[in-house]
Amino acid sequence: MVGTLRTTPLAWAVRLGNLYVEIFRNIPLIVQMFLWFFVMPELVPEALGDWIKQMPPPWGSYVPAVLCLGVFTSVRIAEQVRAGINSLPRGQRMAAIAMGLTEAEAYRYVILPQALRIILPPLTSEFMNVIKNSSVALTIGLLELTGRARAMQEFSFRVFEAFATATVIYLLTNLVVVLLMRALERKVRVPGLIAAGGAPQAGH
Amino acid sequence: MISLKNVAKWYGSFQVLADCSTEVAKGEVVVVCGPSGSGKSTLIKCVNGLEPFQKGEITVDGISVGDPKTNLPKLRSRVGMVFQHFELFPHMTVMQNLTLGQVKVLGRSREEALQKGMKLLERVGLSAHKDKFPAQLSGGQQQRVAIARALSMDPIAMLFDEPTSALDPEMINEVLDVMVELAKEGMTMMVVTHEMGFARKVARRVIFMDAGRIVEDAGKEEFFGTPRSERAQLFLSKILHH
Ligand SMILES: Nc1ncnc2c1ncn2[C@@H]1O[C@H](COP(=O)(O)OP(=O)(O)OP(=O)(O)O)[C@@H](O)[C@H]1O
Ligand SMILES: [Mg+2]
Repeated sequence: MVGTLRTTPLAWAVRLGNLYVEIFRNIPLIVQMFLWFFVMPELVPEALGDWIKQMPPPWGSYVPAVLCLGVFTSVRIAEQVRAGINSLPRGQRMAAIAMGLTEAEAYRYVILPQALRIILPPLTSEFMNVIKNSSVALTIGLLELTGRARAMQEFSFRVFEAFATATVIYLLTNLVVVLLMRALERKVRVPGLIAAGGAPQAGH
Repeated sequence: MISLKNVAKWYGSFQVLADCSTEVAKGEVVVVCGPSGSGKSTLIKCVNGLEPFQKGEITVDGISVGDPKTNLPKLRSRVGMVFQHFELFPHMTVMQNLTLGQVKVLGRSREEALQKGMKLLERVGLSAHKDKFPAQLSGGQQQRVAIARALSMDPIAMLFDEPTSALDPEMINEVLDVMVELAKEGMTMMVVTHEMGFARKVARRVIFMDAGRIVEDAGKEEFFGTPRSERAQLFLSKILHH
């Protein structure tokens, strides 16, 4: 949505969108994690802050972790949506507007359906990144996969097995994501069109 | 039907259009030509408000295009536009391209839109291709679909911006034929093109532009007989002699 905003003719929306994206894209994930966990509860109204701090153990860190990963991923996706929209020929928007569609309708029926097809491959890698980035949440004490592996290791000293298990689970989760996205890509593929401009955006 | 009065437009400090005035009466076909960068596309895009202009007045069917109170989407839905690069929507089938505007803008029912779409596809000779996607058609076929798409809105006038200049030579005629037929049925048309054969056949007037100005605005016979400006003569001799 933010990505879409940044391609509209509305100057203030573009600037707001850019600010949001640049802030969250340029701060390392781990710093953001700390910000969400330690600083955010102090910034929000006191009652809400106290409530967050007093949440029972897994939740107290789960909420900031989800928020952090959510925002971090959303700005990366916003960036891709913007790139996807900008890669469409300018004439497409013109043709849509010229037939009497409003700006919003042009986005809904003409621009976004095409842009989303283009960014589907990079979106896949973004999904996989969220899963991998969840390991950073370890730093704020959330028992996610890497965390569990480390805990197990302390109990059992079976380092190798523990991390092997963690690796396999990460791999499997990502494999499922990849397969689902492939299926989706196949479903929306447009006959006669060869992966419209998909290649240049892929990979990071 | 279409009237321009002293229209001027700037991109920053660069003046693209200067003091452009002309009229297109109902049922008239007017061809606009001129060298590259002379402002032909810009002029025609100003007519349906795709490009804003800073000075002057444009009215279409009595409605002012520059007036901020004008409902531009509504006005645009009544003026068909055909682009150099077709601009069919690649993620929709031919038929979906033809029904989108009818359903979303005009509020027609799906059945009504399909019927109309089918009729227009037959007219441009492409009914067999209704379920194909644009990328599966040749350039000439795509442009004919684009014309049918514009016609599906029952426009009161049609604007063409170099509709054949992106086509291979052998496909130009199939598109021009459709346009000639339209002109003969009395459609009001403003056509940017260098196809002087088309101009000779159906145009009533020819407008010659250079550096953002309308240098020549004359009846067809007059234009091809003795164009008054040197610039137009030079241009004509260039495009007619190869
Ligand atoms: N968005 C823009 N910003 C700045 N300058 C522009 C823009 N669009 C067009 N121009 C300039 O305006 C002038 C007229 O452009 P326009 O596209 O109307 O010319 P044209 O007569 O249609 O040319 P062609 O035959 O090449 O299509 C050109 O000099 C072009 O460089
Ligand atoms: Mg042009």
